[in-house]
Amino acid sequence: MKKQYGALVVGAGIGGMRSALDLAETGQKVALIDARPSMGGILTQLDHQFPSDHCGMCKMLPLTQRDQSSQYCLRKGFFHKNIDIYLHTELTALEGDPGKFHATLSRRSTFVDPTRCVSCGLCAEVCPVRVPNEFNAGLGQRTAAYLPVPHNIANHYVVDLDNCLRCWRCFEACPTQAIDFKFKEREDFHVLVVSADEELTRTLPEWLKKENFPLHFTTSGEDGLALLSEGLDVKLLLLDLDLHAAEAERTLRRALELRPGLAIVLLAGPDKQDAAAELLKLGARETLAKPLERATAVPRLDKLFMRLVSDEALDLEVGAVILAAGFECFNPAEVPCGSADLLLYGQHPGVLTSLEFERLLSSTGPSAGSLVRPGDGKPLRRIAWLQCVGSRDVKLKADFCSSICCMISIKEAMLAKRHTRGEAEATIFYMDMRTSGRDYQRYRDEAETGAGVRFVPARPHSILPGPEGDLLIQYYDYSGELKEEIFDALVLAVGARPPKSMARLALAAGVDLNESGFCATRPLAPNRTSRLGVFAAGAFGEPADIRGSLIQAGAAAMGASRMMRVYHGPRDETPEAEPKYTDVSREAPRVLMALCTSCPTLERNVDTALLRSRMAVLPGVVRVADVPRACTREGWELLRQEAEAVKPNRVLIGACMPYMHVPRLRDLGEALSLNPALMDVVDIHTATFAGAGAEKTVRTEETASLLGMAAAKLLGADPSPQAQATPVAPQALVVGGGLAGMTAAMGIADQGYKVVLVEELEQLGGLAMNLRATLEGDDPVRFMEDLIEQVEKNPNIRVLKDSRVVLSRGRAGRFLTVVATGEGVAHSLHHGATILATGGHETKVYEYGNRVHKCVLTQMELEQRLADGSVDAARLGGVAMIQCWRSRDESRNYCSRVCCQSALKNLLLLKKRNPGLPVFVFYRDIMSTGFSERFYTEARRTGAVFIRYTPENRPKVTFVDDKPVIVALDPVLGAEIEVHPDLLALSSGVEPNDVSELAELFGVGLTPDGFYQEAENKWRPVDFLKHGVFACGLGLAPATMREAILSAKAAAQRAVRILSEKSLSCGNAVAEVRHSLCSRCGRCITVCPYGARSLDLARDSITVDEQLCQGCGSCMAVCPNSATVLRGFRDEQVMAMIDAAVARPPHGTQGAEPNPQSAPAQPAHMGG
Amino acid sequence: MPELNVMQEAQSAPTPDAGFEPAIVAFVCNWCTYTAADLAGTARMVQSPNVRLIRMMCTGMVDPKYIIKALLDGADAVLISGCHPGDCHYINGNYKARRRVKLLAEILPRFGIDKRRLKLTWVGASEGNEFAATVNRFAAEIKDLGPIDTRRLRVR
Repeated sequence: MKKQYGALVVGAGIGGMRSALDLAETGQKVALIDARPSMGGILTQLDHQFPSDHCGMCKMLPLTQRDQSSQYCLRKGFFHKNIDIYLHTELTALEGDPGKFHATLSRRSTFVDPTRCVSCGLCAEVCPVRVPNEFNAGLGQRTAAYLPVPHNIANHYVVDLDNCLRCWRCFEACPTQAIDFKFKEREDFHVLVVSADEELTRTLPEWLKKENFPLHFTTSGEDGLALLSEGLDVKLLLLDLDLHAAEAERTLRRALELRPGLAIVLLAGPDKQDAAAELLKLGARETLAKPLERATAVPRLDKLFMRLVSDEALDLEVGAVILAAGFECFNPAEVPCGSADLLLYGQHPGVLTSLEFERLLSSTGPSAGSLVRPGDGKPLRRIAWLQCVGSRDVKLKADFCSSICCMISIKEAMLAKRHTRGEAEATIFYMDMRTSGRDYQRYRDEAETGAGVRFVPARPHSILPGPEGDLLIQYYDYSGELKEEIFDALVLAVGARPPKSMARLALAAGVDLNESGFCATRPLAPNRTSRLGVFAAGAFGEPADIRGSLIQAGAAAMGASRMMRVYHGPRDETPEAEPKYTDVSREAPRVLMALCTSCPTLERNVDTALLRSRMAVLPGVVRVADVPRACTREGWELLRQEAEAVKPNRVLIGACMPYMHVPRLRDLGEALSLNPALMDVVDIHTATFAGAGAEKTVRTEETASLLGMAAAKLLGADPSPQAQATPVAPQALVVGGGLAGMTAAMGIADQGYKVVLVEELEQLGGLAMNLRATLEGDDPVRFMEDLIEQVEKNPNIRVLKDSRVVLSRGRAGRFLTVVATGEGVAHSLHHGATILATGGHETKVYEYGNRVHKCVLTQMELEQRLADGSVDAARLGGVAMIQCWRSRDESRNYCSRVCCQSALKNLLLLKKRNPGLPVFVFYRDIMSTGFSERFYTEARRTGAVFIRYTPENRPKVTFVDDKPVIVALDPVLGAEIEVHPDLLALSSGVEPNDVSELAELFGVGLTPDGFYQEAENKWRPVDFLKHGVFACGLGLAPATMREAILSAKAAAQRAVRILSEKSLSCGNAVAEVRHSLCSRCGRCITVCPYGARSLDLARDSITVDEQLCQGCGSCMAVCPNSATVLRGFRDEQVMAMIDAAVARPPHGTQGAEPNPQSAPAQPAHMGG
Repeated sequence: MPELNVMQEAQSAPTPDAGFEPAIVAFVCNWCTYTAADLAGTARMVQSPNVRLIRMMCTGMVDPKYIIKALLDGADAVLISGCHPGDCHYINGNYKARRRVKLLAEILPRFGIDKRRLKLTWVGASEGNEFAATVNRFAAEIKDLGPIDTRRLRVR
């Protein structure tokens, strides 16, 4: 039977991980695949993210039911109970319909057995191959046997067959026989050679002697086919094209009839290339050039053999598919039209791409984190960034903005400053600085005024080699003056490109691409591709930063989840039973210690007999068992049998790579009905590897000590069962009935949960009802009317109009909220999750003559008047627009996202109706990010004049005869200009609605600008710190319709995550209070970063909300009475571990006297 | 209240002998430094065998009493290592640790313990090399400093 999954997620970067997690957390089984041999996508290479200049990816991990997934750095990999990960795997075909897709995957072998590889690195040491290191963006080299990412968990070497020389040295060097070059299979790999070439017949057996393939030669196609039909199990057919063309073709066709899928390699001389091309179309696998050369032909045949016997095809049945294959960075060297020459990229070591620069900053990078120029090693102190390399370039077929490069460059400039303690001079040459997120303008200001990063609005025209290996950059500055500057390095802010495998993937998945090569999505259904049931996540549909990718991924997950519901996918509707664990709290500890002793290094470096005898006398240890190869299924089976015999209530496993084993502890726990919190895995192998010259006794001591510490911790573990889980009320509350609120409500209701939608006004719709057109040409009026109709007709949605939330209490899973309607009725609602979608409004403008002169409109008013005909473009003599009216400036220091789009939309409509109409746009930076860049290009083509202004030099508006007169400085002319238009449109931007009361009711934060403050700008973009409450739409951040829809869908999926549970349980590490010791001082309440603790006045005790508690233990350190306890980290446990850690060996020379007061029996036992 | 022996350690520090192997207890946070340590281990980086890691969820939960206990019970030094400032998984736990360690380091010399025996560092999850270097450097420093003599600090 085919393996069944709820969803298949293609691409295991953060977008794919977010989608997979969002689905897995609702109980769906997910297959997560990636073409690379490692997880994490491009983020494995980036150590720092804007605007925090830090990482924080781990904050994306699940907050409830935490023990179902990994609890460590997410950049290093992860696991989740419901997610199966297939790496080095591509989607090759997708057939069927939503709810029942048949996906064919091809998994390419890495030729290293992960259960044997101990990551010793000997294979890489002996490998003679040197190719550019992809992880370091081509800076530095790697071998063909290599670690794809140095910091992955479960990190095994892989063999890159494409670059392998087939010298087999790594195979000989491997101490654990992990490298599998398929010797057994060679004997059965029958090769049939159909050739009349005697030379070939003579030499080939000699050449392929070492490969050990059984060879069969025939001189004609007939004979060869006869052998095939006789039943010879041929795996590879070498077909010489020196046979008659017709005979070759017939042989090929017939052979493929007899053996569908048979690998056929054509041997073609230079004159037979056309014939070969024909036959390749008929199903031949590849061509080898004749005359064959031993040095090339033999490795190629060997590699072909390796692929044929190692690669596997997987068939899955999935309900929905999410494509999250991400993007690649533009490579200037790959463009034929010579932009690499102009930029000196690849010719001058000081010219780097932004990705290369990022690697230079990394401690795992080629220079181990020191900021020096590759090549001559000169410290980089004068660094320039050049924006828009490979983006916003019509010649390079990139008429789009990559949206991320401006922020990346600011971040890199800030990091360079931090790295050099402010010594480095950073200069950014830009066209428009697109700081288009809610918080990004402030980040830029901080860089400019705080850190002293120089922003130069110029495009250098010449980049030349300078003195002493430096770079000379020439440009015309803002005032039109020619400037020359010397820099140590130039960083090219390279744009995003679709992944190289895009065409193949699109064909396999059956989705359309847009003209830029990204996955085609529609602006008002941005998570959907052209194929029903296939969704786009992350940056697959449009370049996006982490925040955007995660929101898009959440929306895609929502789409997939809904699809599975609607089409009754293969999801098993009966929820999995929660494992039941025996209560062992009244039993004396019985520790089973299992040691994995199969690795040769352990035997070599540790006195295992001594270790075993030392362990056997530890308190509570009832048995020390040897479990060879704990990393394999057989090893765990043995362990389970051992445990069933001994009946322990604690299990301690000494093995390698503890993180690998954590998921298995859960299975073991189910088998033994023992809580996995009472089990632990200790890494006993690492200590045996480290350092040359260390004595065996030292290593044995270290290993014994590690095990002793873990045993001490386990012994003190609290075996009492965990607190009761919170039951969930399967209903959601959505506050705000605009575009985002309605979209979110639909997203939840479609998945079968009840929703109450509360709207303050008397009708649904919100701000989006004012729109008449979108930039992309959709009809927002009809879209909104349809949406309102759907919401009002949906049986799962109850709409309360003219209503307000007056009170809310409770926590995730169980909120109680009172809603008062206009008629004075109060509804009290029980709900499990809350979505705040309170939206925003166009900022009121009272300056520049608006509301005084009829000829001054906001962009939205202009849009409406253009739609209803009260502004006639044909009768206008000129239009002026002023962008960023009091946006991006204190006190509203954020980009409103929509104004540039609105301006372009209105401009194009005016120009369409009256092509000769003069239009002047006064702007600071045009923020046409993503694919809206196309409309900016189009607008400039229509002849509209764009004039940049700076905050210091704003355009001045006066009125003569009720007509505006605009005076501004034109930087291109270098002079003042005066414009007399008939109409002035002001881009006033958007503001969030005032929600300070609501925010207080729900206990959520607001930004200084009044937007909702999410838990984490990048990693938890729609969550609040208060669990169970989510935000979306314009109330969260300025957004276009597309972005509002995306955030609403992402928030809906987050809410469904809670609603899909019958009850919510917490993780193993959670704080508890010993009330008898507690003095109610309240210090733990203020110190808790999650607000999980409160004083229960009725009971006069401190209570912990175990849903909110994330187990950081701050409360424990601050408590003066040791009244607060973190499960798994009780004082007794930590103290016992310290004792075990400092205990000296039996015959130690500097043995510290055991302190009779503080040390329990532990050290004495350790000491023997 | 019993009196503490508050002799300065510098006066009575035994001369470091070549065979001295210090015992160092390291409290490391689960998210950053523990994963970095795991990485250093799996990447087979050379590390001093003198360091015993105690995994904490966050450096913000390292109670000073753990540090004092370790030093009194035979650890020659204590290392605390967590996420870089601003990187804390628990928002601000590392800042809490920083405040606590700073205060404790001021108090330690009064009890005759050299404050160099307590160290706070930040090591991110992908910085395996940084972790190995930190540990090796610290172990070398403590080797130079010689063994801790806490017996005379005991309450009499």
